[in-house]
Amino acid sequence: MCMYRVNAVLNWSVTSLVEKSVEDKRISLKEAVSLVPDGASLFWGGFGFQRPPMAFACELVRQKKRNLSVYTCGSEMDIDILSGAYAVSRFELAFFAIEGIGLVPNIQRRIREGAIEIEDYTNLAMALRFLGGALGVPFMPLKSMLGTDLLAKTRFRPKKAEVMSCPFSGEKVVLVPSIRPDFSIVHASRVDKEGNAQIDGIKGEDVEGARAGKKVIVLAEEIVDSEFIRSQPDQTVIPNIYVTHVVECPWGSYPMMVYNYYDYDMEHVRMYYDQCKTEEGWQKYLQEYITGVDSHEEMLQKIGVEKLLKLKAKKPFPY
Amino acid sequence: MNKKHANPEEFTTLELMAVCGSRQIGNNEVVFIGTGLPLIAAMLAKKTHAPRAKIVYEAGFIDSNAKDIAFSIADSRLGYRASAAIGLIETLGVMLQGGHVDLGFVGAAQIDEYGNINTTYIGNFEKPSVRLPGSGGGNDIISSAKRIVAIMTHEKRKMVKKLDYLTSPGFLDGAGARERAGLRGGGPSLVVTNLCQMDFDPETKHIRLATIHPGVTVEQVLENSGFDLIVPKDVPTTELPTCEELALLRTVDPDGIYIPRPK
Repeated sequence: MCMYRVNAVLNWSVTSLVEKSVEDKRISLKEAVSLVPDGASLFWGGFGFQRPPMAFACELVRQKKRNLSVYTCGSEMDIDILSGAYAVSRFELAFFAIEGIGLVPNIQRRIREGAIEIEDYTNLAMALRFLGGALGVPFMPLKSMLGTDLLAKTRFRPKKAEVMSCPFSGEKVVLVPSIRPDFSIVHASRVDKEGNAQIDGIKGEDVEGARAGKKVIVLAEEIVDSEFIRSQPDQTVIPNIYVTHVVECPWGSYPMMVYNYYDYDMEHVRMYYDQCKTEEGWQKYLQEYITGVDSHEEMLQKIGVEKLLKLKAKKPFPY
Repeated sequence: MNKKHANPEEFTTLELMAVCGSRQIGNNEVVFIGTGLPLIAAMLAKKTHAPRAKIVYEAGFIDSNAKDIAFSIADSRLGYRASAAIGLIETLGVMLQGGHVDLGFVGAAQIDEYGNINTTYIGNFEKPSVRLPGSGGGNDIISSAKRIVAIMTHEKRKMVKKLDYLTSPGFLDGAGARERAGLRGGGPSLVVTNLCQMDFDPETKHIRLATIHPGVTVEQVLENSGFDLIVPKDVPTTELPTCEELALLRTVDPDGIYIPRPK
């Protein structure tokens, strides 16, 4: 074999290896949502006002999903929208409200109608249930819930939690069942097309939740080059190994916030809260901002560039 | 600065409640905070007697030095000059359940005479009339922090003999019950309301009147309480805010987001 040919073969194989090593997991928001069948169970990411998958919630509503089960620690306007549109029938969670403003209006009505059932845990219990799912163990122990109705009262689970004595020390602990939902839905700060995701600011329970799902959909404010991720690998909190699909979704938590990217639109949140106190008001909101627009992008156009630019984070502040 | 006490007409009840909460925070203590009055109390404490207090928010912001008022415990505002931004397993798991949290602040829709708290349902469990936010991290905090301060408004329907739903454990049914249940934290130490401050009898763990706010009578407190309250022979008046505390308090929430400015 002549030298020229050896080099050519080597070059060819090197190039081909590089190409094969980077899998492109990008799909559109609409495609990602269409993968979720009615009746699926979801880990729902974000915490409070921080990084809720708002755009994903609105697209679930546009695609008329039904009978979903949602697992989360604490969520707010996102799960209120899912409840108002009858997309979710069961929650296992610790908290919901629109913090600093009031109780979530749609969930109140849907509970009264019997359209929604809630199994209550604590924030730590839910975070540990996700960690247990991620670790591949069937339950996790904790020192909360003892002596309370969180242990005594069950809504729909055959078994919600169990008190036992530690087999080593005899100390009382509460066992909670681990969760492996069908999908984990997480909105990150940035991700590459392989699914390596970085989250600025607090992570809530997203690090564990993203690892608990059988399939993991990572949405992000921006898709960045893999070389950027690999120049700061210590910032990666969700390695691509766990991630099934990646969705580029700028302003995906609007009107809530994303650390280092944008602040919440309190005017919009208050308008939502006031308007949704009545069913008619909610239906009007639903029509105007969710079902009456074709896509997340069209909703953003409705909000307007001027408003969005005002909300952009102003460094050195992360909001 | 001015250590002189302000006159009662110079501050509002909410301002007094925030100052009461602030005084419970010790320097160097690790303190779990929620939004609302506790947030203001913590920000005031950092500016006055407890500059080295470590303020932790369960969503993951640690040793926060926020300068703007936050709406959410996950609010990016709380990340400003924080020492770390991690997550729930860190804050509620390692830090709190691991035994590092000195003091936690909580709110309540209902509280009973042993300091047990309801933040989940009003009405019966089968057909509740109102669904409240739920535990969040409340149950975790009350289960495991060394001390707990509850801040709430004093109304008969909130200070109840029996809770509609027991979300978070006070002293359960009395002395020794927390230990029997396997709880590690110290339980509630103080309840701050718009009428008074209440603590718990060290022997029986039953709620007891500790101090009464200026201009409020013991009768008023009893009229607004649905539970039995131990009233000691002498009940001191709540220590009034100092002029310094008031001045600083008003710089913490200049727009009156949680504490509307007095006229």
